[in-house]
This record gives sequence, C-alpha cells and structure tokens, in this order.
Amino acid sequence: MLKDLFYFLVYPGLLFAGVAGGFLSWFDRKITAMVQFRKGPPLLQPYYDFLKLLLVKETILPANGSRGMFLLAPVLAVFGATVACVLILLPMLGFHTGFSGDLIVIFYLLAIPSLMYILGAVSSGNPLAAVGASREIKLILSYELTFLLVVAGVILKSGMSIRMTDLLMTQETGGAVIGSVSGILLFIPAVFCIQAKLGLIPFDMAEAETEINHGCFIEYSGICYALIKLSKYILLLTLPAFLAALFMNGLHWDGIHILWSVLKILGVVLLLTLIRNTNPRLKIHQAMKFFFLYMNLLVIIAYILIALGI
Amino acid sequence: MTELNYIILLPIVAGIILFAFPRGTRILKGILALMTGLVALVFAVRLFGWENGIHTADLVPAGMAAGSLFNRMMQGISGFCTFNIDPLSRFITLCTTVFTVLITVYSLACMKGEREIRHFYPYVLLTLGLTTGAVLTDNLLFFITFWGILGITLYKLIPGHDEASSAAAKKTLIMIGASDGIMLLGIGIIWRIYGTLSMSALDIPTTYPVLVAAFLTLVTGSFTKAGAFPFHTWIPDYTQKAPAASSALLPASLDKLLGIYFLARLCVDMFILEGWLVFVLLLIGVMTIIFAVMMALIQHEYKKLLGYHAVSQVGYMVVGLALGTPLGIAGGLFHMINNAIYKSGLFLVAGNVEKATGKNDLDHLGGLSKAMPITFVAALIFALSISGVPPLNGFASKWLIYQGIIDFGTQPGAANQIWYIWLGLAVLGSALTLASFIKFVAGIFLGRKSKALEKVREVSPLMWGPGILLALVCLVFGIFAASWVVPRIIMPLYGSFGYTGIWQSTTVSMLILASIVLGVLIYWLAGVRRFRTDEIFIGGETTRDQTDFPVTGFYKTIQDFRFFSVIYKQAEKKWFDIYDVTAKIVFSLGNLLSKAHTGVLTAYAIWIFAGLVLFMLILFQFIIL
Repeated sequence: MLKDLFYFLVYPGLLFAGVAGGFLSWFDRKITAMVQFRKGPPLLQPYYDFLKLLLVKETILPANGSRGMFLLAPVLAVFGATVACVLILLPMLGFHTGFSGDLIVIFYLLAIPSLMYILGAVSSGNPLAAVGASREIKLILSYELTFLLVVAGVILKSGMSIRMTDLLMTQETGGAVIGSVSGILLFIPAVFCIQAKLGLIPFDMAEAETEINHGCFIEYSGICYALIKLSKYILLLTLPAFLAALFMNGLHWDGIHILWSVLKILGVVLLLTLIRNTNPRLKIHQAMKFFFLYMNLLVIIAYILIALGI
Repeated sequence: MTELNYIILLPIVAGIILFAFPRGTRILKGILALMTGLVALVFAVRLFGWENGIHTADLVPAGMAAGSLFNRMMQGISGFCTFNIDPLSRFITLCTTVFTVLITVYSLACMKGEREIRHFYPYVLLTLGLTTGAVLTDNLLFFITFWGILGITLYKLIPGHDEASSAAAKKTLIMIGASDGIMLLGIGIIWRIYGTLSMSALDIPTTYPVLVAAFLTLVTGSFTKAGAFPFHTWIPDYTQKAPAASSALLPASLDKLLGIYFLARLCVDMFILEGWLVFVLLLIGVMTIIFAVMMALIQHEYKKLLGYHAVSQVGYMVVGLALGTPLGIAGGLFHMINNAIYKSGLFLVAGNVEKATGKNDLDHLGGLSKAMPITFVAALIFALSISGVPPLNGFASKWLIYQGIIDFGTQPGAANQIWYIWLGLAVLGSALTLASFIKFVAGIFLGRKSKALEKVREVSPLMWGPGILLALVCLVFGIFAASWVVPRIIMPLYGSFGYTGIWQSTTVSMLILASIVLGVLIYWLAGVRRFRTDEIFIGGETTRDQTDFPVTGFYKTIQDFRFFSVIYKQAEKKWFDIYDVTAKIVFSLGNLLSKAHTGVLTAYAIWIFAGLVLFMLILFQFIIL
C-alpha cells in the first residue's frame, strides 16, 4: 500500500512527472521560440510559472457558481493524469510489483483530465467557459473513437493482449509496431489524437485565448490554475510515453537505452510542437470532420493492411 | 415451498386486497406495501439457502380425499408448477425485491400531493409478485402469463391525465402486448416440436429455420421488455410522462432485470446460437447503444433524456450476452445490475428535482448544487458511473464487456474478426453517454442559478435516502469490483473465468482518496475560506440575466452536421419508431380498403358476386386436385 503511494506521489508519479513534464513544457516553448525567431524562456521558467501561481497569486472564485465542484475538478484532473502516468511508466521502468493496469483502464483514465476541465468550466457559471466546455466535449467525441481504434489496432498487431507487459514483450521480440506500414498509418492518427488531448493548436478551440479568453479555464486563478497547469505538464509526459509504449518498443531505463528513451519522448514532443506552430486553429466542426472522416479513414486503411499482413 | 409463496403469492394477494382500500388511505396502503415488500425481501434472502435445481410446488391441500376430482386437478396443475432455483434466478429475485422496497420508500414521500395514480401501491405489489414469479418459474406457460400481466401493471403505473400521457400509456400497452403475442408463437413452436415447456430441459439448436423463428420471437419479447433497438420506442415516451417512481421501478430496474434475465436464459440456456445469430445480436446491441444515445444528446427534457439512456445501456448487455463467452456473459449481467442501480437512482434524482422545482426542462434549470447538495452528489455519482468513469461500477462492467469483446476476437468467425468494430462503437457510445450526462448534470446542478429557482430547497430524507443508498452501492460495487464483487457475486451466476486485463479498483480508489485529501490540504493551507469571490469575467462585458450559454445548445454542432441533421429530422418525424411506422402502414391500408365502401348497393353486390366466383374457383381447384 505504502509502495503504491510512493509510486503515485513521488516516482514515477506526481513529483517525477511534474518535473519531467515541466521540462517538456520548457522544451516545447523553446522550440516554439526558435520557430518564431525568438530567444525563448529559461529552463526553469515552467517551474517559476507553477510556483508563482501556487504560492503568490491570489485565488478568486466565481461568485455565482458551484464552488465545491469548481475546486474539486483541478484536483481530480491531476489525479487522472498522474495515475495514468504511473500505470504507463511503471512497466516500462522495470517495476513489476504492485500496481498495474491494462490498456482499457489507461484509455479511460486518460479521459479523466478533460472531463474534469469540463466539469470545472461548467461549474464556474461563465458562459465563455461553457462555450469552451461544449467544444471540449465535442472534441472528446471526435477523437475518442479514433484513439480507441488506434489502440485496438496495436492490440491486433501485438497478439490480442491488453496488458502493457505483453505489449512491450511482443514488441521486444517482434520489432516495434511503427516498423511496418500499417504501424505508421496508425501512428499518424495517434499523434493527432494526443495533440487534441493536450489541447494544442490546431485543436485548442476549447481554450482559444483570442476568442473566448481561455474558455474552460477563464475563471481559474491562483492555486486552482496551478493544479491545472500541473495536470497539463504531467499529460505532456504521459501521452508521449503512451505513444512510445504503443508504437516504439517502450522506454528502457538502463545504460544507453536511457538516451534512446529520452529521445523518443523528445521526438514525439517535437512533432507536437511543430504541428502546433505550423497550423491555425480549427473550428470545432472542422475538427470533428477531420477525425471522423480522415483519421478514421487512415485507421481503416491500416486495418486492411494489418489483415493483409503488411 | 413456503418461501415461494411469500415471494410470489403474498405480494399478488396483498396487492389485490389493497385494491379494496378506500381512497384517502394512501399512507396506510404505502406502509402495508412496504411491509409486504420487506417480507418478500426476507424470504428472497432465505432462498439462498435452497439447493440448486427444479422444485415442484405441491398444490394439493392436506386432508383432501384422494381421488376426488379437485384433488386430481390440483395434482395435474402441480406438474406444471415447477420453479427453477439457480444462482441467477435467486440473484434476480433478490434484486427485484430490493428495488421494489427502495422505490416504495421513495414513493411514500414523492407521491404526496401529486396528481395521484390511483392504486399505485397495489400495482407496485402486483409488479413485484409477477416479476419474481416470472423469474423463478421454469414453465414457459407460467412465464408468459406472469410476463403478460406485467405489461398491464406497467400500463396502469402511468397516469393518463392528459392526451400525451394517455398516448404514451397506449403506446406502451400496444408494444408490450404485441410482443407478448409474438412470444406466444415461439412458445407454441417449442411445444409442437419438443413437447415440453420446461425451460431447463431445452437445449435448442438454431440450425433449422423454424427453430430460428422460435428464437427470434422470444428475443423480440425480451428486447421489447428490456428496450433494445428497434422495439425500444415506448421507453422514452413512458419515462417522459410517468412519475419518477414508476420509471425507476419498471423501465429502469425491474423490466431491465427481467428482460435481460430472459435474454440470458435464451442465449445461454435454452438455445445454442449459430455464428450469424451472434452477429445479428451484436449488431442490434451496438445499434441500440449508438442510436439511443444520439437521440439522448439532443433532448431538452431530462426525464426523456434518461429514458433514451435506459435504452442505450441495454445495448451493452445485449453485446455482452451475445458474445457467449463466460467473460462476456458476466460482463452483460454485471452491467445489468449496475444499470438497474444507477438508472433507477437517476430517475429518483430526476423525481427529486421535479418535486423541488416543478420544472422538467433543462432550459429552465441550473445551479442547484448548493440548494440540493445531497441530490447533487448522488446525481454526480450516478452520472459518472453510467458514463463509465473509473473507478465506479459502470466502468467495471464495461471493462468486463470490452475484455469479453477482445477475447471473443481471438476466435475464428466472421463476427469475431471484426471485434474492433464492436469495441469501437461500444466505446464511442460510452463517450456519447458522458457527453449527454454532462448536459444532465451541468444543466440541472451546475452553472448559474436563475432568479426563479431562489426558493428551491433540498427534498425530504425519505426522498434522497434511497438515492444516496443506491449511490453508495455504486461506489462499493465500483471500488471492490475486480477483487470482490465480480468473483463473489457475478462469477457464481454463470461460471468463473480469468480476467485478461488488470484493473486494481481498490488501489486506484485509494489513490483518489489520497489525492482528494491532498487537494483539501493544499486548499486548507492556502486558506480556502479567505478566497475572494468575484463576478465572472466575460471579456469586460457586463453580466446580464440573459448572458448565458445553456447546456441544451452544447451539441448543436452535431445536430447541424449535414448527415446527422437529415437523420435527426426523420427521427423527429418518428420514421424510426416501429410503433408509428406500423401505425402509418395500418392506417394507409385502412384508407385503401375504406375506398371500397361507396355506399352504392350495386357496387356491394358486385363485390359479393366477385367474391363468390373466386371462392368457387378455389373450391373447384381443390375438388379437381
């Protein structure tokens, strides 16, 4: 029990994932700055941001909303991101004791942060937050099927087991999933799905700064917003790590493999950053169409290729 | 046999006696009904001490002269009075009595002052006795008798005080009654071919068309009762118009338990399904999930929204049972019991809200979380549970079903090879459920409160008590799902199995608790009491009364999509409603025939003559052949 709590709170959970996610957030901002010919923030900037919000800034609550839910939502968002992170990282970091979960569980836990953002937004009573919430839930509806089909495709390619350890084992012996044409075809929608899950451009319509003033998060400030930022940092580590597990033979934590593991995560984040810096924001119905028609089409082609054994 | 008397006969007899009570004794009737329910509950628990197997009721009274006509008659009847006591029927009986007791408690407070349904409690008791009778009996004739009368109690539990509710009641009666008639045909086929009506003795292959027909007729009955596509259309209308207690009792819990129980008996015990039938059932299952939830997404009335979900969840159970593997069957049955818990809970919540506000439209509600905190917590738990958010019970049973689907995909067969389609649509249905329950919770409890709702207060403990109890069961069934509930309660029903996945529900729940404690600690250290509150910020504009983005507008984008908008328009015209389509066909045929009624004598004479000639020709043919 205590060991599980340690995994959850310290390593590879809250503390580790928060710090690593903060680093990834810096990496993302630095690359963005480079793309835009700016200098970019110093390495510690994400941590400054977080600590300033947590310790210094005043927290203001909406006068006419449901405060309990408003305060609880960020906490549960951090929980969802962290527990998914632990379940994904533990088998890859070589812990085979205690706490584990299968792909379905991880898939569902990964939906909790978004759900909590929505509940927090609607409980603020702000119409702009409600617009953001309605866009967020529609975004979930659009990518959830694609994401599930991607995961199912990986399950299909790696021997019909939904356990993380089996998935990693089959990739260890049979080569990474991304090493085949169908694997690449599954990887493309997967990248867009996590782009949408992270709420990055072109799928940031739920928190569009210029249009609806940060949408879902408009009423959040101080500690609550610090927690939301923390959950975003953790997701920025969790989702690329999940892709690494699904497609790229996972992460390994010994010798030279550490370098490869870090590069895998950085590579995925780089991809996300480049997509977000070279695209405009979509409207919600465009995003729905994008996932429902085009991404699902890619997945279907991938399934046909899997059936043909390519 | 005394237990069976107390479980089946006592509620029926008590119900009939309660009919005789005069008006104005509502409370007395309610308390008597509650006591009867409790007695039945005690004996339903005692049923767990019985041995498995077929029990025959001995109806011959002691001390009667042997060989007399009455004696022989009773002996003859006793031969048909067989009861199948096995883990499944025991379990369903227990659930039935528990739900009836809870809802009776609820209606003691809820029915007060409302436009009363005459004889509410007598019909509730009849429903209880008939449902347990249908569950326990082994004889198909007895089964169809109990099942058929249940349709009438269902019809009487909705007040016909205006045109719309009368129409809903009529629709219910016609659809349920028609399906009962169709079932009789199937029972007839089985009797003709096998010469027995004992469910436990049957093991019918579905290789011959006539046996497939028997299966399909019986499945039609089960689908209509439980509410699966395309026979589900009475449920949303019913729940929209009936009082919350009736909806919580029948379409939400007892009908689901009974319908899915019968489906389990059909798919697992009575028939051996061929591959293509499995395919058809899976298709119906996912269609039920998706179609119903898509309709729920656009509803404005929360009781109708819940009605569509009462349909959509059945899809998961059908999928689980159709898989036919131990994992799938367990998932389907677990989902059935979970659904009965949270769905009747949701209807009780809806009843509370309706009672407290008098409104049944999401457009006019919002911000009630502070005024009705207990109802809100219960509603949130139910809503998260039905949407399958871990670690609640709805997730646990969906997890079993998904595993069942993936496990099913490892076997050869056409339906098995496309397992990912079933899985994908089931998960999409779960996301859509989440979407429409965000609408439900946010529309009623979250957001800004309008001026009209200032005076709303929490309802009486008798009304929130059953709801919060069900919410606790949701939590317990979720938290201890994989380690305790499934192995101890679900596995005995149809055999044990190993999980293919891992779900440590207890650990994750503990971590949730830890995070909440941590969160509260952080807020407390920061001085949450001193947090400043301020008006919402909407980009510098001033907030007015009409400044709002109502939840009913959340999914307008989906409704406006070119493809969906066509479908939704047709659905609003009721083109997908089997009841209305049949009605249209029948009426247009009637119009066609009525054209022949011209009122001219010569025309009638010609018709008669033409008929006579036709008749003679046919007869002539027979004579020659």
